[in-house]
Amino acid sequence: MSRRSKLPKIFFGLISIVVFGALFWQSKVIMLRLGEPAILTGYTLMASMLLLGFFNFRKKLSMIPIGRASTWLAFHVVLGVFALALFGLHVGVFWPQGLYEQMLAGSFYMVSLSGVVGYALQRSLPRRLTQTGVEIIYERIPAELAEIRERVEALVLECTEKSGSDTVAQHYMGTLNWYFQKPRFRLSHFVGGDAGGYWLRGPGGAARRYINDVEKEYFDQIIALAELKSLVDRHFVCQGVMKKWLFLHIPLAVAVIALAIWHLILVNVYVI
Amino acid sequence: MVDVGGVATMERPQRWATPFGLDVSDDDIEMLLKRSDIAAIEADRFPAHTSLEGVLRNDARIVKYRQGDLVVREGDYGNSAFLVLDGNLRVVLAPKLPNDMLGRHQTRKKGFFEALTQLWTNETIPEVRNISGYKQQGLRGSADSPDARVFLQDVPAVLDEHRTAVLQEGALFGELAALGRVPRTATIFSEDDAVLLEIRWQGLREIRKYDEGWRRKIDQLYRESALKNHLQESKMFGGLDDEKLDAVSNKVLFETYGSFDWNVSFQRLRGGSGQEPVLARQGEYPDGLLMIRAGFARVSVKHGTGERTITYLGAGDHFGLGELYAAWKNPEIEDMAMKTSISALGYVDVLRVPAPVLEEHVFPFMEAPATTIMDLASTPVADDALMEWAVDERFVNATRAMVIDLEHCVRCDDCVRACASTHNGNPRFRRHGKSSENLMVANACMHCADPVCMIGCPTGAIHRSVQSGSVIINDVTCIGCGTCANSCPYSNISMVAISDSDGRTITEPTTGKPIFKATKCDYCEGQPGGPACVRACAHDALKRVDFQEFNSTGSM
Repeated sequence: MSRRSKLPKIFFGLISIVVFGALFWQSKVIMLRLGEPAILTGYTLMASMLLLGFFNFRKKLSMIPIGRASTWLAFHVVLGVFALALFGLHVGVFWPQGLYEQMLAGSFYMVSLSGVVGYALQRSLPRRLTQTGVEIIYERIPAELAEIRERVEALVLECTEKSGSDTVAQHYMGTLNWYFQKPRFRLSHFVGGDAGGYWLRGPGGAARRYINDVEKEYFDQIIALAELKSLVDRHFVCQGVMKKWLFLHIPLAVAVIALAIWHLILVNVYVI
Repeated sequence: MVDVGGVATMERPQRWATPFGLDVSDDDIEMLLKRSDIAAIEADRFPAHTSLEGVLRNDARIVKYRQGDLVVREGDYGNSAFLVLDGNLRVVLAPKLPNDMLGRHQTRKKGFFEALTQLWTNETIPEVRNISGYKQQGLRGSADSPDARVFLQDVPAVLDEHRTAVLQEGALFGELAALGRVPRTATIFSEDDAVLLEIRWQGLREIRKYDEGWRRKIDQLYRESALKNHLQESKMFGGLDDEKLDAVSNKVLFETYGSFDWNVSFQRLRGGSGQEPVLARQGEYPDGLLMIRAGFARVSVKHGTGERTITYLGAGDHFGLGELYAAWKNPEIEDMAMKTSISALGYVDVLRVPAPVLEEHVFPFMEAPATTIMDLASTPVADDALMEWAVDERFVNATRAMVIDLEHCVRCDDCVRACASTHNGNPRFRRHGKSSENLMVANACMHCADPVCMIGCPTGAIHRSVQSGSVIINDVTCIGCGTCANSCPYSNISMVAISDSDGRTITEPTTGKPIFKATKCDYCEGQPGGPACVRACAHDALKRVDFQEFNSTGSM
């Protein structure tokens, strides 16, 4: 229902193409005049990286009208791609020589890659979470899991009391307890698989053939809670990834900017 | 509650289980019945189960006001009318009383740099208040006292500076707001000590129903004061001259369906399938045009074994025009029946314009309606899911609902942090709420078209901002009684215990009880740039929407 506007990305994209074209042309002109085009591309790249970094500060400045965050994100994404292209123009090769330059290039590629991956995750994971049909705040998930576990254990106890049989209790202690202890099948949830459901249909539900009708009633409720837990696990994993990728992207970005500033100082002191 | 044979039982709740005023004595009733204005009511026309005495005892209360007390404020929503028993009141005509005198928040837009200072001036402790500012407002009573109200501190000065009219003993006022669910149109205060009979809407409706004199009096007041304007605002009657408009307005019928306190039953029966009062039923003969004056109505059509909602109507909308026009245009068709039903969504106040009036004054001069309501039923039922949900959950009341598209939301909580950054470090909503498919309506104030939260606020602290239309709370005059929070059908108002800057809970000196304040989304009133939550969403997932527009466009 909600539609993202593509206009900011198109607008910033066109500007970036024009600016990059101009820089490319100017670099060739400088080279033909036996000048050093890396000074022009380097300073532009430095400015781009600082502008990219300012997106994070914008989040802290929600109280002032400095444009919508969605416009800033569009700018950030386009500028990121522009910076990657400009990096290629500036360095001239994929992998530079010299340890310091290699550290700088490595960090730059990693921050770019983490940005692309993070952006892709943010476009795909929300849809998968919505399709679970449940919605839960990330910080509430541990409490929710504990509550599910308590409800299951109460059902197991009640089942034993009412049926006079401990088959379900034994199955819980031997098999299901592992499942309810913490989020399981994290990789499967992350890639969109159904390993949790597969496990519940297999080992998780294995005791079904050995229980009587009274126990079945309780067992079905336990399996329903297990299925609910699987959805909560999916939220835990996917929401966690969407939150935590920034813990990689932002420190790397800070490192790149710090390395680039030192690179700039060295170039100004020893080269120019 | 009694346990009988393992089954819990209780007496069925009755109409007057909770009287309006708890201390109406026999002497009071005797005194009231002797008054000429009440003695004139034909008591024997009231049925035994709803006697006039019962109405006075249970739907009315005697309220004493001291000099300067504000009785009603312009713009407030109320559910009761007043009869002056003793003393003089003043209606403020012009100029209007300023907001601060009325106990309302004085909104001032922050500048860019003033807004920026919130970056370092916001508190890290929740709900910190500077209580020295609370003493400046004229406020009588506390959260526990029934007569808590705002008062004017200098009545002679108000009388000097404002043109006013006197309301004396026997005057009836507030009936329009009480019966029509419309804001109070004037501010009235007590010139000296006064005694008023406050009648809640249920009682007023009974009196109007059974007593011809009061019905004529109330209807006449409405016809004189608001009906003609209301008719003129509609396209159909806008072109009529004064004479014809008078003829129309004299024949218009006033009707009210459903319960004024719909929010109470809605909270109790949320998600249930309670019966909605029907205004007109599919298959019946169309006898008049229904014009919605206040509240909401559902238009539905039979589908399978159920009713399919095809649209809903709010204030200013009308129902039945297509059928009435077709019946007039094609008199040879004998079996001209309503193609849809209309029912009250909680509460609806309508004007019924009889068909002969339309045939005489309107139809000959108007073009055939271009579309009919039935055109809406031509879409697949799956397309109606969003509207059915919005109607069932009463989100149709929203003018600024916080709708989050969960397929775009990355659950980063930037919206919550942005809200906190503009509200002294405290977010004013929860990123959680009812969902339908990919849309979630978060627990944020929706700034309702029918703001039930504003009814019953003893000090008028919760009010609609004149500048922006947002429903806001004046923290200074809020006495923490919780009436608004209890009334909100969507649980979007929170009661919070306030603290000083050291994090100590502020308590009442005598009882040691914490002081509470009502808090909610104020739509960033006073902040530059509009609601921070919307601006902070990097994925365009969060929007503030008017559900009426939202449903018609189907997009955010």
